[in-house]
Amino acid sequence: MTHRIVVNVETGVVSQVEYTAEEQAVHDAAVAAQALAEAVAIQQQQTNESA
Amino acid sequence: MSTVIDGSASVTINSGAILGITSGTAVASTSGTSIDFTSIPSWVKRITVMFNGVSTSGTSSIQVQIGAGSVLTSGYNAGVGLINNSSFTTTSNISSGFATIPTGVNTAAYIHYGQMILSSMGSNTWAVSGNFIYPAALNIMMVAGAVALSGTLDRVRLTTVNGTDTFDAGSINILYEG
Repeated sequence: MTHRIVVNVETGVVSQVEYTAEEQAVHDAAVAAQALAEAVAIQQQQTNESA
Repeated sequence: MSTVIDGSASVTINSGAILGITSGTAVASTSGTSIDFTSIPSWVKRITVMFNGVSTSGTSSIQVQIGAGSVLTSGYNAGVGLINNSSFTTTSNISSGFATIPTGVNTAAYIHYGQMILSSMGSNTWAVSGNFIYPAALNIMMVAGAVALSGTLDRVRLTTVNGTDTFDAGSINILYEG
């Protein structure tokens, strides 16, 4: 699971907060979208170079 | 009667503010997609966010966001520029936060050293300036901007623009003062 770090400056307590299932789903979708966009960009660049 | 303040202990004034500068807790920026400093006191007028070798896993720009009750993710009037020893310059307007590096420059190898200072202008508006360096390439980044919150600032978040890259090196801390 993905997580964030939370520091409470009043108490000094540092916590590792795991993503909820919903947050994880959003995260995974964003990562997949970025990977797809990068793949498309690479393919476009290769097409341009071979043209 | 005279009062001596010798720095051996904090002094609290009527509004609850602590005189002097208070340090947060330094944390390793070696995992997670964001690092939040929460429960920042309402009397705070200036916050210094310090980076010591901060790095991420990807190419998205690192950014600092602030919030009142929740983190503000848009509406920042901010920009960031970069210069280096071969006169390369680039700038970006990034409205999702106060970015530490222009768009398209960050890599997984990038390491940030430096600090960003957030100052209260009153009426929940905060102005920012900051400088960072990536020593290996002698790249120097400069950030400036301002943003208005809907309420009293109570949190500072370090994250990336895409929100999915993870931190993988360094440490971060804040100082705050009234």
